[in-house]
Amino acid sequence: MIDQSKCEACPVHNTGNLKRLGINMDKFDFVVALAGNPNTGKSTVFNNLTGLKQHTGNWPGKTVTRAEGGFEFNNSRYKLIDLPGTYSLLSTSTDEEIARDFILFGQPDVTIVVVDATRLERNLNLVLQVLEITERAIVCLNLMDEARRRYIEIDERTLSRDLGIPVIPTEARQGIGIPNLLTAIDEVVNGKFICKPYRITGTSKGLAKAVEYITEKIKRQFPLLPNARWVALRLLEGDQKIIDAIRSGEISGIAKRNSVEENFAAV
Amino acid sequence: MTKIQLNEKEKLIASANTLRWEIGESLHDSIIESIYTDAAKIANKVVKVKEQKKKYSYDQAIDRIVTSKWLGFPIMFLMLSVVFWVTIEGANVPSGLIANLLVDTLHPVLKDFASSIGTPSWLSGVLIDGAYLAMAWVISVMLPPMAIFFPLFTLLEDFGYLPRVAFNMDNLYRKVGAHGKQALTMTMGFGCNAAGIIATRIIDSPRERIIAIITNNFSLCNGRWPTQILIATIFIGGAVPAYLAGIVSAAAVVGIALLGIIFSLVVSWGLSKTILKGEASAFSLELPPYRPPRILRTLYTSLIDRTIFVLWRAVVFAVPAGIVIWLVANITIGGTSIAEHFTNWSDPFALLVGLNGVILLAYIIAIPANEIVVPTVLMLTVLVAGIAGVGSGDGVMFELDSVADTSAILHAGGWTVLTGINLMLFSLLHNPCSTTIYTIYKETKSIKWTVISSILPVMMGFAVCFFVTQVWRLIAS
Amino acid sequence: MIDPLLALLVAFAVFGIFAVLFWPGKGIYAAYKKAKRNTSRVLIEDTLKHLYDYEERNVHSTLRSIAGHLSVSSDDATKLVQKLQSMGLVESGQDGIQLTSQGRSYALRVIRIHRLWERYLADETSVKETEWHLEAEEKEHNISIEEAETLAAQMGNPVFDPHGDPIPTKEGEIPKRKDISLSGLRSGEFGRITHIEDEPQAIYIQLVAQGLYPGMQVRIMDVGKNRIKFEVNGEECILAPLFAANVHVVPLLKQEDITSEFKSLSSLRKGEKAVVAGISKACRGPQRRRLMDLGIVPGTVVTVELESIGRDPVAYNIKGATIAIRKKNADQIYIHPKVGEPRAYKEFSQEELN
Repeated sequence: MIDQSKCEACPVHNTGNLKRLGINMDKFDFVVALAGNPNTGKSTVFNNLTGLKQHTGNWPGKTVTRAEGGFEFNNSRYKLIDLPGTYSLLSTSTDEEIARDFILFGQPDVTIVVVDATRLERNLNLVLQVLEITERAIVCLNLMDEARRRYIEIDERTLSRDLGIPVIPTEARQGIGIPNLLTAIDEVVNGKFICKPYRITGTSKGLAKAVEYITEKIKRQFPLLPNARWVALRLLEGDQKIIDAIRSGEISGIAKRNSVEENFAAV
Repeated sequence: MTKIQLNEKEKLIASANTLRWEIGESLHDSIIESIYTDAAKIANKVVKVKEQKKKYSYDQAIDRIVTSKWLGFPIMFLMLSVVFWVTIEGANVPSGLIANLLVDTLHPVLKDFASSIGTPSWLSGVLIDGAYLAMAWVISVMLPPMAIFFPLFTLLEDFGYLPRVAFNMDNLYRKVGAHGKQALTMTMGFGCNAAGIIATRIIDSPRERIIAIITNNFSLCNGRWPTQILIATIFIGGAVPAYLAGIVSAAAVVGIALLGIIFSLVVSWGLSKTILKGEASAFSLELPPYRPPRILRTLYTSLIDRTIFVLWRAVVFAVPAGIVIWLVANITIGGTSIAEHFTNWSDPFALLVGLNGVILLAYIIAIPANEIVVPTVLMLTVLVAGIAGVGSGDGVMFELDSVADTSAILHAGGWTVLTGINLMLFSLLHNPCSTTIYTIYKETKSIKWTVISSILPVMMGFAVCFFVTQVWRLIAS
Repeated sequence: MIDPLLALLVAFAVFGIFAVLFWPGKGIYAAYKKAKRNTSRVLIEDTLKHLYDYEERNVHSTLRSIAGHLSVSSDDATKLVQKLQSMGLVESGQDGIQLTSQGRSYALRVIRIHRLWERYLADETSVKETEWHLEAEEKEHNISIEEAETLAAQMGNPVFDPHGDPIPTKEGEIPKRKDISLSGLRSGEFGRITHIEDEPQAIYIQLVAQGLYPGMQVRIMDVGKNRIKFEVNGEECILAPLFAANVHVVPLLKQEDITSEFKSLSSLRKGEKAVVAGISKACRGPQRRRLMDLGIVPGTVVTVELESIGRDPVAYNIKGATIAIRKKNADQIYIHPKVGEPRAYKEFSQEELN
């Protein structure tokens, strides 16, 4: 365990640079989305960053509309969107649709996935789904204190390497780890950390061929799209939003924006 | 079909569609399976559990007790009784203080001020005796219990106990074709039906959500507890020997609340057999680990999120109601006020169901908030029965500090034990307050369901009161 | 004051009249609604569907078949067909009454709504399986195509109805039926007979003698070199491969259902452990997805953690979380047999042992 007090003191990891803006977020430079399973302390992280005091209950579907808040860090202003707590992003339920559509069409500059460290495997389900949609994500490994109490150790560096994105252990109730989380946000949005997200390896059986076929077709039409495979999967699942986005060409907007930034990062 | 030359995008969509017919329906399963396979692979690599020796788990120990066969339900009722008791007892003093300030002190001051600047009496009547007083009553009767109930409820929720309640109760709800989480929205309804209806968002099956919304009104909300307690003390407690009065009247109120739960189950069952036909759908509920609730934050957030929100809506609806109340008591046609006209006209019907015209009128004009029913009833009784020397004029709602005085007024208004029982029943079974009706409309976005959830309880109320009255009279005669 | 006895009697009478009028399904109002159902729109659409159905099965439809199907008199059937002809929806040729292309796309539109609605009932509501078809028969004439499209989008544009039949697209496309011969099915698979080849006649007569006709559902029980054993309408039937080749079938999706070799999750007792084998196909739609999202996928280890009063629902430990599931769903989750390892005696708590 890193000595937290030293971290708090060093200039990079200074919460002093954090200015909580509450609901005041007229002008912002970056959009941050907050996703996560229910019961992972997502709201605590949200409240910690924005200084707001939002209450959400213990079950999914409680935050039906998304909450928004703002904060300022290292002279950049961020708008933070608290997405509904969900176990997955693949179903047709309203809360999952809101979360899914925001990550895809809202195009957040970074998506933080809050994860319960005591149940990593179950939570990784959502992380992997988020990584299928977006490239820039951070895992906030919350409830580390509880994990410690249960003698669970997590090798967060290997996890970060495997997932290709930053993994930040936190204890949001005590505010521990939040400075590191802020730094990670800053690094990802400014291209200092380039995410190489893990993509799911195999769809089984004869389905792989169909998925591949559609993916190729999509790539041919929208060559800049970063998540063609995921779009193909959604198309094969009959997602009306995706069908509409392809029809209207909205999907290529996603492509353009991402590619500009990729070029920027490459420079 | 003639096919127009499709553009590339349409071709893409069409070929996806064709493929879907070929690959069948297993795609979704396959995706989730492969995600979980990968998740397990990664998790196995990075997670290490240091000590295999199983530690004594508090969660399991608590769960074993609160969901046990013998203790589960008693603990549940005990917890809820404690919450209600703390709410009712704790609210008495602050309610009195607020009423003292807003009604007894500020109201005369406003009246004096209005007359000193020469406001016409009808205007100060409408604004101060009507609108202001209604608002004052709502705040003083509603704010303290809600400010106590909601934080307590939220603490139980945050601690993780409420999902266990749903777990215990699910069996009952499944049998009537409803959702297990309806137990939670029902409990929430004991605080405020509007809040209970918002809480039904946690139910994802539309059919079961509508059932939960319609039946939420059968939870006796905070606004109705004071009416129940007052009437039970006067009429039920008054009908038994003095040393039993306290316990019997308390039992009567609890009985009404339990009757509400029974009604909610019976109506749920009836709905799932008729207009909302269907079997209970799937129910999966996570029982989260117990976490120590953070008391200060909970107090703050539940106050802001629930109490103030609900109170604000109630105030918005109470103000126009106050105006109407004042007007019906003061506008006269042929020498008698509208209120008297109405009570005379509706008395025959009202007596048939064991109530009286005053109660009916009070329930109609006090639709915005159950809290102002008792003050309105008192004001109207005094007005209609022509009692002199109580209250402060026509159309001015009031309550009396002494139960004995209130009892005297009601008896003078021709009330009997039967009227008392029927009022208690009708207070449980009548249309939801306008705040709740508005909330139902906002949540369902359907006029049909809003109308059904408003009309159904009041019809049942009339039916039940009618039955009780006639049987009572049959036995008595 | 009114005599209470009289009042009660009057009230019961009023209630009785009300019940007779509005009793769901059986009251006068319900009967009136049922009678009103046979409007011309309903008759037209049902006729088109009937014609389409016969075309699919390669059977000629006649005035008699129409009259029989709609249960109307043959005079009415004649009038109906004339009306359809004037609307350009059907034409009568030497092969009986046939759909025009316009009529076919109309029929497909009705079928689309019907199958979408069945799918909706299966996935999103808890209406019983036996009632899907009947309810969809009503609904297909009552909802507009726009409403149906909204419904489809909301459900993720399903392409199959819950019986495994394809749902035609909005544009009226439907996949070409892929007939295969009965001998092409493997054992355990389901199929529906679409066509029985009438040449050579010797074989045809044999097949008809076996009581086979288009529309029947078959389940293959055993495929051998010299004979194919299958079940049709609950009866066993054996055909030689040569004969079976002349029976055309479409494979049905039902075959994927996991059968009774597995025990269901609900058979586990408190403290027992098992590995999930899969979820029954009878559990579908959002319910299925929700269970999978919660981690119920093949290979997951599940432990019974808590039993509520009456043993329904039961809370399971699934990938670290405690999740309560109703028995009805647990019945649909299959587990590998014999993997559940009983705990050692000392691990049982005192309470459980008492």
